[in-house]
Amino acid sequence: MGEEEKKMSFFKAFKQILGDFSAGRRESVIALTCKEVQELENIFSLLLLGAFVGFPAPPTFLAVELLPYMEREMRVLHYRADTSGDMLAELCGILGID
Amino acid sequence: MKVLFYTGKGGVGKSTMAAATAFQLSKNNSVLITSLDPAHNLGDIFGVTLKDKKAKFARNLFLSEVDLQKRSREYLEREVDVLTRTYSYLHALNLDNYFNVLKYSPGIEEYALLTCIEETVRNETDFDYLIFDTPPTGLTLRFLALPRVTTTWIERLMQIRRQILEKRYTIQKIRGAPKEGGNNPEIKLKYDEGDDDVLNRLKALDENYQSLNRVLQGEDCSVILVFNPDLLALRESERLIEGLRDLGLPLHLLIDNKVTDDNLDTAGQVEKSLVRYFGQDIPVKRVALAANIACQLGRCLYDIPEDLVSVL
Repeated sequence: MGEEEKKMSFFKAFKQILGDFSAGRRESVIALTCKEVQELENIFSLLLLGAFVGFPAPPTFLAVELLPYMEREMRVLHYRADTSGDMLAELCGILGID
Repeated sequence: MKVLFYTGKGGVGKSTMAAATAFQLSKNNSVLITSLDPAHNLGDIFGVTLKDKKAKFARNLFLSEVDLQKRSREYLEREVDVLTRTYSYLHALNLDNYFNVLKYSPGIEEYALLTCIEETVRNETDFDYLIFDTPPTGLTLRFLALPRVTTTWIERLMQIRRQILEKRYTIQKIRGAPKEGGNNPEIKLKYDEGDDDVLNRLKALDENYQSLNRVLQGEDCSVILVFNPDLLALRESERLIEGLRDLGLPLHLLIDNKVTDDNLDTAGQVEKSLVRYFGQDIPVKRVALAANIACQLGRCLYDIPEDLVSVL
């Protein structure tokens, strides 16, 4: 490996590390926002499809009207129902408490 | 174009009054009278058999009876259609069965009624008068309240949806452009307002209801309250006046139907207390009960001597 090539690969690695570092920082910055989005999506799906789990629901036809576009929301609802077992641990995770 | 709603307690003669008004109006104007009551009487009054489509009765007079079951079925079929188009992989599932159950879910009938009013108001603009004969008080108030209740819900949902999209946008901006070949589902999410199907649908619905609300609360819409000279009709009419006031719907005329020589005093009292309850100046029209109406089966029920038009 020539001197020039060594330099290049060093810069490449350095750049990679910097990139990963900044991505990590960015992720940690948006972690709370991500959580907020999750919660909002939860609320939205529950408001619209809550009738299925016994919540007071909006006029049924509104839910029916939007049903065709709600695939992701239904999945979210299902997924959350599966994974929301340990709310406390989740909260600690977000706030960074060990 | 003017829109008239005939409301009142069950059995007071809403349909007959609506039919009589339509008949009198049709001498100088083009009129469409639509019955929204699930227990239709309009055909009986005019002595014809009516289907869901509008039928011509006289030169200027058209009649129609809304088939609620058919309307709800059509509405659900339309939804199934969109569903199957959106999720093409659902073809295997028998969605029709699911929707057969939905047919009985609360709210669908009122929604069908409302859609029907909305469609009629939107499409039948050639007529000078649109007359709606409504179901008895309870159901009428419920479906007249629907646009307002629904717009409140829609506003809330739109608000939440916008928040979601805004936050998604923030996340997307901070995270930067997605890498090629990445399979993170979050990245593919739409964050632009114009791209989000749910928000677009909500916006379209909102626009529909707002325009219906504008028509219902506008200058050209009047509600006419029909009652009889008795205590029960008085009490229910009071509740109806209260409900209409809450909804901001304009009451323009009171019709005291089935007045005879025997109940003349009661008629006066009931009229007076209703006007007092309403709190503003409002014309009251008295319609006499033809004593021998039962004996004259051949007589036209819609042709009554009292003038119901000049006060409108």
